[in-house]
Amino acid sequence: MSTAEVLLQVRNLATGYGDIRAVWDVSLTVRAGEMTVLLGRNGAGKTTTLRAISGLNKADSGSIEFAGEDVTGMPPHRRVTAGMALVQEGKRIFRRRTIEENLLLGGYTRGLGKRALEREVSDVYQLFPALADRKHVTSGQLSGGQQQMLAIGQALMSKPKLLMLDEPSGGLAPAIVAEVMATVAGLKETGIGILLVEQAVAASLAVADRVTVLDVGRVLLDKPAAEITDTEVLTEAYLGRGSTS
Amino acid sequence: MTPIWSGLAIGAVYALVAIGYNIVYVAYTTFNFAHAQLMMFGVFVTYWATVVADLPIWLTFLACGAAVGLIALIEEFIAIRPVKGAHAHLVTTLGAATLLDGITRLIWGDQVLKVPPVIGSSSTITLLGGRISIVELVLIIAIIVITGLITLYSRRSLTGLALLAMAEDRDAALLRGINVKRLALGAFVFAGVLAGITGPLVGPKTFAVATLGSALALKGFVAVAIGGFGSMPGALIGGFVVGLVESLSGRWLGSDFPTIMVFVVLLLILLLKPTGLFGSTRERVV
Amino acid sequence: MTTIVQGLRRIPSWVLPLALGILLIAAPWLGISADTRRLLVLSCILALVTSGLSLSFGYAGELALGQTAMYATGAYLTGYLAMHWVNDLLLLVVVSAVAALVVGMISGIPGLRLGGWSLAMTSFFLVLLVPQIIDLLEKYTGGAVGLVGIPQPKLFGQPLSTVTFYVVVAVITVVWFTVMRNLVTSRHGIAFQVLRQSPVLASSLGISVFRLKLTAYALGAIPAGIAGALFAYVDKYLSPSTFGFTMAVTVLAAAILGGAKSVYGALIGALIMQYGPLRSTDFAQYAQVIYGVFLIVAGTLVANGLAGLANRAIKLLKARWDPQQPASAGGDPDQSAGESSGLTKRPVLPQLPGDRLQIEGLAKRFGGLQALGGVSLTAEPGQITALIGPNGSGKTTLLNMVCGYYRTDDGTIHIGDTDITGAKTHQVARAGVARTFQTPLFPEDISVHEAVAAGMYTPRYVGMLSSILRLPRYWRTVRADRAETTAVLRLVGVDHLADAEAASLPLGTRRLLEVARALVCRPKVLLLDEVASGLDEDEIERLAELIRAIRAAGTTVVLVEHNFKLVLELADTIRVLAQGELIASGTPAEIENHPRVLSDYLGVRQEGMQ
Repeated sequence: MSTAEVLLQVRNLATGYGDIRAVWDVSLTVRAGEMTVLLGRNGAGKTTTLRAISGLNKADSGSIEFAGEDVTGMPPHRRVTAGMALVQEGKRIFRRRTIEENLLLGGYTRGLGKRALEREVSDVYQLFPALADRKHVTSGQLSGGQQQMLAIGQALMSKPKLLMLDEPSGGLAPAIVAEVMATVAGLKETGIGILLVEQAVAASLAVADRVTVLDVGRVLLDKPAAEITDTEVLTEAYLGRGSTS
Repeated sequence: MTPIWSGLAIGAVYALVAIGYNIVYVAYTTFNFAHAQLMMFGVFVTYWATVVADLPIWLTFLACGAAVGLIALIEEFIAIRPVKGAHAHLVTTLGAATLLDGITRLIWGDQVLKVPPVIGSSSTITLLGGRISIVELVLIIAIIVITGLITLYSRRSLTGLALLAMAEDRDAALLRGINVKRLALGAFVFAGVLAGITGPLVGPKTFAVATLGSALALKGFVAVAIGGFGSMPGALIGGFVVGLVESLSGRWLGSDFPTIMVFVVLLLILLLKPTGLFGSTRERVV
Repeated sequence: MTTIVQGLRRIPSWVLPLALGILLIAAPWLGISADTRRLLVLSCILALVTSGLSLSFGYAGELALGQTAMYATGAYLTGYLAMHWVNDLLLLVVVSAVAALVVGMISGIPGLRLGGWSLAMTSFFLVLLVPQIIDLLEKYTGGAVGLVGIPQPKLFGQPLSTVTFYVVVAVITVVWFTVMRNLVTSRHGIAFQVLRQSPVLASSLGISVFRLKLTAYALGAIPAGIAGALFAYVDKYLSPSTFGFTMAVTVLAAAILGGAKSVYGALIGALIMQYGPLRSTDFAQYAQVIYGVFLIVAGTLVANGLAGLANRAIKLLKARWDPQQPASAGGDPDQSAGESSGLTKRPVLPQLPGDRLQIEGLAKRFGGLQALGGVSLTAEPGQITALIGPNGSGKTTLLNMVCGYYRTDDGTIHIGDTDITGAKTHQVARAGVARTFQTPLFPEDISVHEAVAAGMYTPRYVGMLSSILRLPRYWRTVRADRAETTAVLRLVGVDHLADAEAASLPLGTRRLLEVARALVCRPKVLLLDEVASGLDEDEIERLAELIRAIRAAGTTVVLVEHNFKLVLELADTIRVLAQGELIASGTPAEIENHPRVLSDYLGVRQEGMQ
């Protein structure tokens, strides 16, 4: 069992859109320097869970604790300042702005001047060299992979303690998926806790420390990644042909 | 050339209204019907500061900016914040506009008050074969500079970028830690302050009269419709186009036609190019 | 108390307004003073103008303030014609109504295309133009001086005394509000409310959004023109200052005060305005301040106005005193009509033959993003075809293209032999495609029965004239509607809720209602978009039964669904999309074990399966 400090603790979360409930009862944990992967079929409630953790959706019940502080009712922008960053699915960058502008915006919450931020942007360029060559290109014109890198880089600019990623591999070519995954996994070493939502089971299992599987808004399985040896079990859970152990 | 100069001068005023609409549109994706009334208030405060109180120039600008900025702040709290959606704002900001009209009338009455030039003078010069007064020239130059500065600020400063980001994707902006409510409020008050400090430039051209607001509101809207919602350079060009249409149709067709011709232009632009010259189309998503 | 309320409930809703209407007409013989008579005339005139705004603002959801301009058109036209051509009240009323209609159409069309602010601004602009145009036509209008010398009104050659003139005004007002009431309580009224709530829903029911909006707006011009004609005779003098900005704001205030979304609200609002503020001479000075504050407060707090508040109070009272009023909160869906429980008894539908949906090479790009890259697929009648795929795979794009929300870049879509490629949404609906929405859409304050009947608006259209005049054709359709909705509601097992407010029902019930609404359209192709999301197991089971019954009736069912288990259970064929391409197609058994589906959609490593 891991002994690292618990960074994010979600307990019995219920949330949704208006009266359409998408998440009924979800609990999960992310530790500093570790990665929790949130798996589940389409519509299982993964994205909604992330939206609730970052404050975009209001929690109808349950609690969200981050770095020892209850953030359940905190407005989303303050959660970012507190160190939580979400990379939304679908490469939601500001498409009409350039790469550089997007990265600067990522550091908006830190209260530094523009000059200081411009220096920090170079850290992101080191992480994603492909972006460095195209600093002043309008980001809507980038390839899918570059947009995804930009989205992650933008989130990193806020110097988060917790990085949440919603399907970063969605719509990317396999080679790029591997690259993005490797970079994300590498971030663990800086002490950041990562909560990754994925549909690509194999790719994400390889780098995960803990696995939480959702089905129809409820937790189906929650255990350390090391204990999951039988992919078959997971497959069953996915296809909903039977209950899991 | 003289009608062109005078068209550009009044067009500069319309462009200012359009820029005010656009700032609020970018921040809230809604319209502040009362923006022209804010400008009207700025003109009246200018009248008070120059004619009644006889304040020095810098204090005139300060008084105008502060007074109108404060009114904008109040308007945001009573007419914008409590309701959601452009349609509800249509009623509440129309209410704010009517209220400001009424207050102006109660304080200053119905008569047309002449506002003396604060910068420049009413004397005219001949430029490129047309006559134009110094105040008008100052007004035209000022609006071009203001548009340039706003465009530059929104691209170069972090706050400006945040505002554009917010306009593009509110949720994503929130997720980057941008306090969208406060930023939007800041933009709203800024639009008010801008309306105020341009009062001393606009006043000598338009005079202070309680019907100024409604006249400017509609012309300003036509300028936005021509230039495209949210585009600052579009607002500038739209404003000049409206001013020129007005001035030239007054010259060639007679004094009853300017407003009618502007209305015709509005109908044409809505029919032929509903997104305006600089607007972008968006496909509807279910 | 309970019995009194029940007794009152048995009185038809039109009795009270009719009695008040007769009272209004008969007022001169009830000993009212000349002052009161004048006030009532002015109230009727204001009410007519206001009712025009109510139609476009309250019902069609578009704020158009141009009524003042149409009012001025009617007034000046009547004044001029009465002086120089023919002085007949009724004839001039008709002429004014037509002229107002023309002005409304010309000024409304450009703004209506965009709606919202564009319409509000163009219509406001129109008001601003009134003094200019009066000035321009000084020869006919008297310009700034005003139009002086309008004669005493005549009707069929007989001069009218002030009392008879009053009666004529009252009768015209009563007639107009009857017309309004008949229109608004017919299916057209429901269509207006659907439009107001969601243009997307309206077009998916085959309603042309633009045409219906234009209709509401144009209809709103008529009473303004009539009111203008009447007003010309009140003082026999017209001044341009009457028709300004303040008039427009007064009308808006009256509409909001009375509740824009109520038939008689305009009358109440106009009466309050005439008896209250407008009578006081001090008011003129403070008018704008008061209107301004009122619009801000009313716009914020009581968006629905006094009538709205009254409605809510009545509803509360009913709920309190009348236990037989159907409870709006769900209720047990199984207690339907004394028959055995709906769950065990399988619903059986009458034949509802479908048509094949055939999509070929469908492609769509958004900017640089290829959302769909040449997808071909078919869905057969009498079968459930499921469309699955990860987020961003293009399912929603595909659905939106079939429904005509997006233009197709390439490829064709056919329903049977009908090519619907590039057709507008309402045309697609008319070709026989019905759909449900991820978030069920129902206008507020509409009963389940009305909400479902809205599905029949286009397939069995009844003209506005038939509805207003309540011709036999109208009554036949009303009966047919009722029979059909009752049958469909029984089928989905919610017929006991027919009179409850649709929008306030629980999600599961609203989902069933959406299917019911789609069914009364008698669709050839039924598209179900995430129909099971947010439902619990029992609700999903009920829904599944219903979908099977629809298949049995012969309809082509397309199911876009996240719930893989439900898809495996229900579908005859499954099509899997990923990254805008069709990656697999087959029976549930085939798809379940399809290697590409496992890797691309479910993300399971292939070797893990062995």
